[in-house]
Amino acid sequence: MLKPKAISQVLKQATTGGVKATLLLNSEGSPLAFISDSDRDARVYAAIASNIWSTFEKNGKNLMRDDNLKFLLVECEKGNVAITTVSNMLLCLVAKPEVELGILKAKTDALARHLEEPFQRMTTYTQT
Amino acid sequence: MGEELQTYFNKLLTRIDGLKAVTVTDGDGVILIKSVSNDVSPRVLEPALSTTFSVVSDQASKLGLKKNKSIVSLFGLFQIVQFNHTPLITTLVADSGSNTGVLLDLGNELKEVTDIIASALSERQVIV
Repeated sequence: MLKPKAISQVLKQATTGGVKATLLLNSEGSPLAFISDSDRDARVYAAIASNIWSTFEKNGKNLMRDDNLKFLLVECEKGNVAITTVSNMLLCLVAKPEVELGILKAKTDALARHLEEPFQRMTTYTQT
Repeated sequence: MGEELQTYFNKLLTRIDGLKAVTVTDGDGVILIKSVSNDVSPRVLEPALSTTFSVVSDQASKLGLKKNKSIVSLFGLFQIVQFNHTPLITTLVADSGSNTGVLLDLGNELKEVTDIIASALSERQVIV
């Protein structure tokens, strides 16, 4: 059984060193678990991140010979956003501009790897 | 001037390891200058790539992190780095294993070139 409290604790561990928010969301953009200073910000990040992901995913299918989208890095003036997939969900990290893009990607990849196996098991369980 | 620019863009493909295509388009996806390697699908030149970025960049600017500067999308075989050089869009298509940092740094260099193109375009619009 998946413990929601444990998910939040894992996300909290990643929300350090300049990372402002860490979110786990479904493909429709609804947050499943998140750590953020404000709930409102988290919902805005979730909605926009999922929209950006699905738009680029469609692009990949149409223009890049059915190539699968693996990672997105959105660089803005006052912060950066990293998005990747975990099982059939999206993982999104929002960081301050001081956080180097390489460390943000490494953190996102490490967190995705950590969450992949338990979420994969949950997906298999819900499908059977 | 046009020939010099084209030579500069052609040289970029040999200078940057793994770089397959460079395009500068307007917000509607109309190509102003391009340089494409022979071993990449011509579909990367489709306007959809730039128009999608134009829409997504506007959305990303609503994250509450000020204006969007660039988006890196990493696929299985390729990576696409797109820059918001308002009013123009610069797109780099490279192998997925290429150095993303080098490509992002190239964006700063290309900003100076796109500024020249943008000012030439605005002057022309005033004359017309």
